Amino acid sequence: MAWAILSLFTFPLHGEQISAPSDSLLERGYRFLTLSDESVRMVLLGTVLMGLSCGIMGSLIVTRRLSLFGDTLSHAVLPGVAVGFLWSHSKDSWAILAGATLAGFLGVALISLLKKTSRIRQDSALGLVLSGFYALGICMLTRIQKMEFGNQSGIDKYLFGQVVGLSSTDLWTMAFSFLLILALSIFLYKEMLVAGFDSEYARSIGLPVDFLQYLLWLLLAFAVITSLQIVGVVLVSALLVIPAATATLITDRMRPILIWSGLLGCMAAATGAFVSFLGSQLPTGPIIVLVSASFFLSVLFFHHRNGLLFKWFSSRNRNHRIALENTLKAVYQELESIDFQKESVSVGQLAKRRRASMPQAHREVSALVEKQYATLHADQSDSPASPKPVLISLTPKGWGTACRIVRNHRLWELYLTNEARYAADHVHDDAEKIEHVLGEETVRRIERILSNPRKDPHGKLIPSQRDIDRGFIS
Amino acid sequence: MSKNKKAEEPFIPDFDAVDTFLTPWATQAETAWNGQIVTMGILVSLACGLIGSFIVVRKLALMGDAISHGILPGLALAFIIMQSRALFPMFFGACLAGLLCSLCIEWLQKKSILKPDAALGLTFTTFFAFGVLLISIYGGNAHIDPECLLYGEIGLIPLAENLSIAGIQLGSRPLVSMLVVTILVIISIIVFYKQLLVTSFDYTLAKTLGLPVTLIHYGLMLLLALTIVSAFEAVGVILVISMLIFPSVTASFFFTRMPAILVSSLPLSFVYSIGGFFLARWLDCSIAGAMVLVASLCFGLGWGFGPKGGLAWQLFHRLKHPHPSIIERTNQYPIKE
Amino acid sequence: MNPSDSKPLEIHDLTVAYQRKPVLYGVDLEVSEGTLTGIIGPNGAGKSTLIKTIMGMVPSNGGWVKIFGKSAKKSYARVGYVPQRESVDWDFPVSVLDVVLMGRYGHVGWLKRVGKKDRIIAGECLEKVNMLPFADRQIGKLSGGQQQRVFLARALAQESDLYLMDEPLVGVDAVTEKAIIELLRELKNQGKTLLVVHHDLSTAKAYFDQLILLNMRLIASGEVEKTFTRDLLQKTYGGRLTIFTEVADQSAGVREYEKETESS
Repeated sequence: MAWAILSLFTFPLHGEQISAPSDSLLERGYRFLTLSDESVRMVLLGTVLMGLSCGIMGSLIVTRRLSLFGDTLSHAVLPGVAVGFLWSHSKDSWAILAGATLAGFLGVALISLLKKTSRIRQDSALGLVLSGFYALGICMLTRIQKMEFGNQSGIDKYLFGQVVGLSSTDLWTMAFSFLLILALSIFLYKEMLVAGFDSEYARSIGLPVDFLQYLLWLLLAFAVITSLQIVGVVLVSALLVIPAATATLITDRMRPILIWSGLLGCMAAATGAFVSFLGSQLPTGPIIVLVSASFFLSVLFFHHRNGLLFKWFSSRNRNHRIALENTLKAVYQELESIDFQKESVSVGQLAKRRRASMPQAHREVSALVEKQYATLHADQSDSPASPKPVLISLTPKGWGTACRIVRNHRLWELYLTNEARYAADHVHDDAEKIEHVLGEETVRRIERILSNPRKDPHGKLIPSQRDIDRGFIS
Repeated sequence: MSKNKKAEEPFIPDFDAVDTFLTPWATQAETAWNGQIVTMGILVSLACGLIGSFIVVRKLALMGDAISHGILPGLALAFIIMQSRALFPMFFGACLAGLLCSLCIEWLQKKSILKPDAALGLTFTTFFAFGVLLISIYGGNAHIDPECLLYGEIGLIPLAENLSIAGIQLGSRPLVSMLVVTILVIISIIVFYKQLLVTSFDYTLAKTLGLPVTLIHYGLMLLLALTIVSAFEAVGVILVISMLIFPSVTASFFFTRMPAILVSSLPLSFVYSIGGFFLARWLDCSIAGAMVLVASLCFGLGWGFGPKGGLAWQLFHRLKHPHPSIIERTNQYPIKE
Repeated sequence: MNPSDSKPLEIHDLTVAYQRKPVLYGVDLEVSEGTLTGIIGPNGAGKSTLIKTIMGMVPSNGGWVKIFGKSAKKSYARVGYVPQRESVDWDFPVSVLDVVLMGRYGHVGWLKRVGKKDRIIAGECLEKVNMLPFADRQIGKLSGGQQQRVFLARALAQESDLYLMDEPLVGVDAVTEKAIIELLRELKNQGKTLLVVHHDLSTAKAYFDQLILLNMRLIASGEVEKTFTRDLLQKTYGGRLTIFTEVADQSAGVREYEKETESS
């Protein structure tokens, strides 16, 4: 029964393929969801704890721009793992945890020392410690392999992760780390917040900033080391960074980021465990990472406010709105040029004023008609032989909007030329953009400052609010 | 570290000078074999050290790390599709994946609100996970030894198939491809030295001088990807980063100008390779790991005792001049009347 | 020298917005040949952005820039740019001489080596700024004033016709400041054109013969006697035009507009 779990093997090349191949997808899924196997329960518990721990710690390091420290730490602990292994002659989790934590601390200390005493840049220092410690770890582990008590799974487990052989001791260490991390994020939340944001200030109000920093490294090391067993050296950093990065796209306040990171980490872990259980050859670690990454991509594109797709659509909408309003304004100006003697303008006239081609002008007019800002009708007065020019008339709704736009535009022009001393030829272009964003209140203020003017700098009439309300044209 | 009553071998083996230093060259066959290994090591360190010097000053050290992980899915796909370790598809696939990885990173950095380090960490790990997944699923067909991936097996280089062009046997394929890439790197750096220097140091000046800065950046990334792909078989995907960074940072404790730093990659590459080889023989461990250990040792020496900024000299200077006088301090600004 | 009818620098209606908030708005400028012009304005006024936009480091959202009558990109070779000190990586492994030699690269050509003539010119430029004794020193090992002088020397080595300098006198000791201003005056007398972002209002009148007052928009530009007046300075630094900045904020937030259209 425990053999079913072997389908979660990360590297089948090194392990036995044991899950009963005759089990169908459905049967496997059922087995997982009902948590009937003890090993399923253990794996699920392990991955969920891992997802939570890494998610929460990840939020603390990503927001402090320390994302790559997680990666460095996961490589740097390797010699410590080897030492722990040597000490206990077994895969005793506590010894390994201790050794690895020590190695992690040494690594972090070395990085700060390097930065303080030499000209080496931070990214180089990270790379040095990452690869130097890792190399030491590799040498020690390959060495251990050759000794009697070393066996194959020793190295593989830490390089690639191995969900099989997750012992109860392992789970205890993970639970222990998680509880500490949870305690930190609950009880020391505001201290960590201040220390992370502005350590100078934190120090000045008496916070033990250095102690908090060491605590952070310690718990990060715990999260990393306990996760190494499941996903291996390289992918740990993914578990730290991806959920937290996703959280920063969703919200911009620290507490929600923390909660979202933990949640996303946990969901990705559980989903990943499930998916890799279903497949018979799928390794757990990479699947969890890929699930996490797909969460990230979904949020990146589809988030209702910050998502890229949303932003593209809303800017397209805004552009459409602006184009619509410019068309309305052009119709108004065209009518104004004939002193509102007629009630409609031809599409040709519009095209000329908008400096657009006829097809484009037609498109703009269709947009107006669609929004019920205008109606189209044929010109009655022409002879049947010549092509009928199409005429545009504004609906009351159209008029109201056109007047409003023109009013904003002309007020703004006046403001710029009088108060801001703008050159006259600039003013049109600026106002083109600004008028679409002027709010009513601002407009009224401008009117007051300019003492309710009737004419703009070019001598044109400025429609007042009363004019608009009264249905201007009459 | 000898709590090993049960073990037959001690953790640190006894040092036998003859066995370590002389036996590798005992017979001609062995010399040929070991010679290839050492040569590969020298070429890897040299090429990586040279291009790494520019990567380091452009603060792209971790981008190098990212690319070296990002090539994995490309490699895996190339092996899986071609069912062999044929040279060209491997290079093509891996370089493509590596460049794609760096493009994705830069896109994320520009278009989303993610900080640069988060974008980096997120992208290359995802690429790597994808690569591992591919290998696990199609594992048997891929001819990839996962350990080789992670820390290389330079000892097996002589075993690789021979490359031959027009019937001429050139030698082990990884060795030959590494040689070609190394020569490419050397030539590029010599010919384009000024361009690389200016674009690394002062982007705006480069633009003022009319340089195609983006082209140069991607050219450098391409060269980096080529170097990483040809080196990974020897030292593995993770240790490449050390070969990129260690030489120039070690040299910076001895020299303060770029040309000198570039040139020091050569002696350092000899030290790393030969020292690593012997160290691995003694300790009977991974050769690539041993090379990096030697590199760390050299770095430690430089950091401790290097004349330009080494700790010993800093200490010495501070002891000699505990209180710089006002006159000394203002002598920094000589004024010409 | 290149005889040319076109002014060294002409800017029309230049607008630069960062995330929809305008930083520069409709700026019109002309700088004549052989002048020493200072740009002053409060913090965040867009002075650095102006220089950076001219140099193409920041994209513009409207208007154009012409250098010696041609588009900026075509004329870069005639422009010497001295950046703000913070933007340099002082740990870069180059010596003082290496930096100044970089200024000669435009004259050397791309596949050739730097020649003896270039080294001599570089040496002369270092001499002019009193930095020749430091030629072999790594640039990180210099004081603030020395660092500034190295970049000035590089700009001299470029032998440009138009010089753009971004706060060259920040964090520099008094003696170096005087020396730099002397050098700038000498360049002006040789017929070069200099445009300098200056941070210190109190010395602006003494150092420059032309001034540009900038606060998101151009407040004034011209002879220093005509522009350095209480009225104009108050306009620049005083922030009377509050509606303007409000609207600028609005256009970045677009909140009120959205609310309005929701109801319509």
